[in-house]
Amino acid sequence: MAEKEAYRLEDVRYVYPGPPSVPAVDIGTLRIASGEILALAGPNGAGKTTLLMILACLFRPTGGRLVIFGEDPWADDARTAAARREAVLVTHHPYLFKGTVFDNVAFGLKVRRTPETRWPALVSQALGLVELAGWERRPASTLSAGQAQRVALARALVLKPRVLLLDEPTANVEAGLALRIEAVVREACHGAGATVVFSSHDFSQATRLAGEIVYLSAGRRVPFSHENCFSGEAASDGRLSWIEPRPGARIVFPGTFAGHVTCVVDPANIRISSTPDGAAAGRPNTFRGLVTRLETTEPGRALVRVGGELTFRVTVPLSEIEARGISLSRTVLIEFDPAAVELVGVRAAGETS
Amino acid sequence: MIIRELLLIIWVSLKTSGLAALVASLLAVPFALFLAGNEFRGRRLVLILNQTWMAAPTVVIGLFFYFLLGRSGPLGRLGLLYTQTAMTIGQIVLILPLITGFSYTALRQVDRRARLTALTLGATRRQAGWVVLLEAKFALLVAILAGFARAVSEVGIAMMLGGNIRNFTRNITTAIALESSKGEFANGVVLGVILLAFTFGINVLVVTSLRSRD
Repeated sequence: MAEKEAYRLEDVRYVYPGPPSVPAVDIGTLRIASGEILALAGPNGAGKTTLLMILACLFRPTGGRLVIFGEDPWADDARTAAARREAVLVTHHPYLFKGTVFDNVAFGLKVRRTPETRWPALVSQALGLVELAGWERRPASTLSAGQAQRVALARALVLKPRVLLLDEPTANVEAGLALRIEAVVREACHGAGATVVFSSHDFSQATRLAGEIVYLSAGRRVPFSHENCFSGEAASDGRLSWIEPRPGARIVFPGTFAGHVTCVVDPANIRISSTPDGAAAGRPNTFRGLVTRLETTEPGRALVRVGGELTFRVTVPLSEIEARGISLSRTVLIEFDPAAVELVGVRAAGETS
Repeated sequence: MIIRELLLIIWVSLKTSGLAALVASLLAVPFALFLAGNEFRGRRLVLILNQTWMAAPTVVIGLFFYFLLGRSGPLGRLGLLYTQTAMTIGQIVLILPLITGFSYTALRQVDRRARLTALTLGATRRQAGWVVLLEAKFALLVAILAGFARAVSEVGIAMMLGGNIRNFTRNITTAIALESSKGEFANGVVLGVILLAFTFGINVLVVTSLRSRD
């Protein structure tokens, strides 16, 4: 049991000290299997970094329960220290200690009392992984942001931790190296059996690397499915904003937004009916489509896929399927409130990353 | 003045004030580390009191310990008044807030991420504390040297608690005071120059030795 599960979070919350006392993270239940690669996605301020700090046992949850490999890391100091040695975090803007690259990469070995004679080989191997072989003697203060991030990654990899926590691991490095780092992360997981949790606002990277993606919005886990994820350039009338993933197909949500917006709609928050004619005209977030798939995925509920201008996935209680006249190939009307649209990514116009 | 007596005067200054700087650092730096790393109620008050204490005149501290250590004082039985130990104790109290305040500022300058990085890489809390101290070592050194400079240059405590006893508790500053009151201004000036020269030498020595090791 303990071996299968790297993390178990039960109602874990974290509230930063001082006002406002809104939880930065309010995660509910989250289980992370050992050896899994999990991505954390979501807009800036969604709580990704805070959650990573919690997983690294650097922030103590202000509520709920956190279990790492079957142990409560906050039971006593010894267990906190032990958990921190299992899970190593590489931050978005890593801090390098004064001294050389070697001093930095060897730091974890030193505090773990690894025999000093083994340091050079281990350090050199770790630097090789991030393509900084032979950089041992460079002063840390002379490195660029991208190089510093790679040194910080090497500094974690050299410890061969059971859990590797990475905050935006490729944010500061150029494209070619990003792929290299992804390969290193994959190798750490599949080769060495490490559990990897990383945050990224690059959806393609998240889907490429991760076995599972957890979407966060305002500290909470938000549902996500590919069918109900839409993005586009936002426009606004001052009260409501919208994107048009396809010309004419407009998804409306409250608030004023500009720039590139990615949003999701929870399949449980979409209403579906088989009255395709009239009625719908003029109401926001109303779409017509064909039922292209109908299946049961969880007890008592049916999953309906509706294809049209946009494709939606809707869950409906089984008992209502017949009552609403839903069957394959029928034309249906679906509708959801603007408030049911959850934004998972907002990127200001002109922002490239 | 005989050379032997002059050397002894210099030695008393360096010994009492050096020891005071050492002991005060051992107390003040860990305290500053605690203050810099922990948010708690009343921390601001502690800092204000510390700043206030910095302004305490040397003679006030001297007077306080004079009563404490004097024959009829609570600690009179220890027989410490008019000894080098008494001078050192007074100077420790004098420079504690100075080293605390400067060290606190130095440690607050250290990036908060330094400690977290050390912790996530597996450092114990003690080791992480060391990391923060090492990241700030130059600024801490300046704090300690400032403390030493304050101790070695003060005259009130040395006079009241040491008593300016020839060949025993007479140090550079009390000797200057004595020579001046005797009208031997030249001797006073020479001693003053010697004091500055020694302080200069110590600063150069400590700073360069640390820099070369970096």
